[in-house]
Amino acid sequence: MNTWLPVLLTAQALVAATPLVLAGLGELVAERTGVLNIGIEGLVLAGCLAGFATAAATGNPWLALLAAVAVGALLALGFGLLTIYARCDQIVAGLALNLVVFGATGTAWTLMQDHGLTTMAEGVGFTRGWCAGWGRDLPLIGPLVFNQYGLTVVVAGLAVMTAWILARTRLGLVLRALGDEPDACAAAGIPVRRWRLLAVVGAGAAAGAAGAFLATMRTNSFVPMMSGGLGFIVLALVMFGRWRVGWMVAGCLLFGLVDALQQHLQAQAGANRIPFQLWQVMPYATALVVLGLVRRGTAGPLMLTKPWG
Amino acid sequence: MPDPRQLLSAWPALAAALAAVALLLLGLWVAGGAPGEAAAAAWQGAFGSWRRLAITATEAVPLALCGLGAALAFRSGTLNIGLEGQCLAGMVAAIAVLVPLPPGPWACLAGLAAGALAGAAWCGVAVALERGRGVPLVLSTILLNTIAALLLGALVQGPLQAAGSAAPETAIVPEASRLAILATPLHLGALIAVLIAVASWLVQTRTVLGFELTVAGLNPETARFAGIPVAQRMLTAALGSGALAGLAGAIQVAGVTWFVSDGARSWGYAGIAVALLARLHPLGVLGAALFFAALEVGARTLERRMAVPHDVGVMVQGVAVAAVLLAGALSARRRR
Repeated sequence: MNTWLPVLLTAQALVAATPLVLAGLGELVAERTGVLNIGIEGLVLAGCLAGFATAAATGNPWLALLAAVAVGALLALGFGLLTIYARCDQIVAGLALNLVVFGATGTAWTLMQDHGLTTMAEGVGFTRGWCAGWGRDLPLIGPLVFNQYGLTVVVAGLAVMTAWILARTRLGLVLRALGDEPDACAAAGIPVRRWRLLAVVGAGAAAGAAGAFLATMRTNSFVPMMSGGLGFIVLALVMFGRWRVGWMVAGCLLFGLVDALQQHLQAQAGANRIPFQLWQVMPYATALVVLGLVRRGTAGPLMLTKPWG
Repeated sequence: MPDPRQLLSAWPALAAALAAVALLLLGLWVAGGAPGEAAAAAWQGAFGSWRRLAITATEAVPLALCGLGAALAFRSGTLNIGLEGQCLAGMVAAIAVLVPLPPGPWACLAGLAAGALAGAAWCGVAVALERGRGVPLVLSTILLNTIAALLLGALVQGPLQAAGSAAPETAIVPEASRLAILATPLHLGALIAVLIAVASWLVQTRTVLGFELTVAGLNPETARFAGIPVAQRMLTAALGSGALAGLAGAIQVAGVTWFVSDGARSWGYAGIAVALLARLHPLGVLGAALFFAALEVGARTLERRMAVPHDVGVMVQGVAVAAVLLAGALSARRRR
């Protein structure tokens, strides 16, 4: 095993970055089409609960992932219908979505506790190390690639694919145009609202899957409000990445690295003289500082948050 | 940017609130519960006696103040989502002033002022980042919420921790420095909230400043063309909303909790929902805050009596906001 610290921290950063990149890819595409969903925090939390409840009830991790994706997509569908078809304000609708999910997951969790659905059976969740055997012991590639969650590898592939689609394909051109020039899209015969709804629902599915990762892979448990601002961080990272996949992923990795570093420092001898909250604040403060350092004047999609039609 | 026209449109928020409650009762009925009994229990819990009414009103005070802050900010087109963090900043500043000062009404006043200042300052950080570095207020205020919560946790375990205490709690505010109690547990802060709501309504409808704030929110281009200093007005609104959120936290410390501990609160987040439900009307905020408080208190009674989780209250709050939003959007569409 390679125990060189930078490699360990990077391996840990990849774990922390996985749900961020996953939810971020969906949100990035949705924002590119002109829809900002602040309710992504709620979608992730809903994914956590749906994934955990399904895993606890059925013992099947694939069903858990599927349930989280379905719940995320369904909630996003409601948000999309409100904002895209009924032309409701996106930010307010996102806040409402968050409130509904915060309340609903709290309610459902209390009911689950009453019915004894509070733990997952041993070994139900996907575990780290998708490649069995000798691969994990390789230097460098072992901890960084083979001894990761399978979803991390899938997400890396998704990121490359999304970047390629957005930059190089007709579909990507349409997606980008939806957020910048919806009128031109409509003139070209593209159903603007239907495409936007599709992007929003896809983003919801991705956010749900990110929630399932938190609840059934990284930790095998559910805690009320366990998303802990992950969705909000994703919003910041998409903006930090200036709506480009590469920069967004870089931001996620940086955030993950700072998070891994603070956890490592917190575990050091003598660190307990400093309250743990001061360590935990590091990633958020970094995000704020980095946002402040980004070059100014790069506007996002022109029609972001503007309803069409 | 929320379109204020959409938020101000004429559909009664009451319908939205009732629809949300009806939806919940319907859900309860589908789940095999007794909706009539539940509604009666929640009603009794929130309004059943003078004592219950006082509890509900006390719960409404921080919601109303945060709601007034959100209404002020949103009306002028300033997206201050950070009322939660500003409220926490107010709590910290208030306790830091209330505990060491010689007890008395002046200490109380100083505590409230410190809370309001801290709230405005915490919002000022976000405004400075937006003005200086182009960081959108929506993002910075969201991040600052989390940062404020973590810093509060660190402070109540560090410099502000009560001497000799192992728990993450501050010392207790001396009795003479607390807000006067009107009818247990209702305190003087309720009166302050009502006065600020009325003052806010008067400023908005009767003064040039209020007019300029509203125009800046409805259409900044027009406002600029008409010679209104839009940037200045938005700064006023942002700092004012931060101060109101900070005051909410300070009043909660001086009137209800008397100390600060590390734990979850959400008056800032709920305040935003309250303002939206009231469609940004200052007097409407008082009503919406009472509605939210009644949901909160009623849901807790429901939990005790009928084993319905109290979090359903939050769910109804969310549905109410969505309903008022939908009603506004539909009526805006009809008028187009």
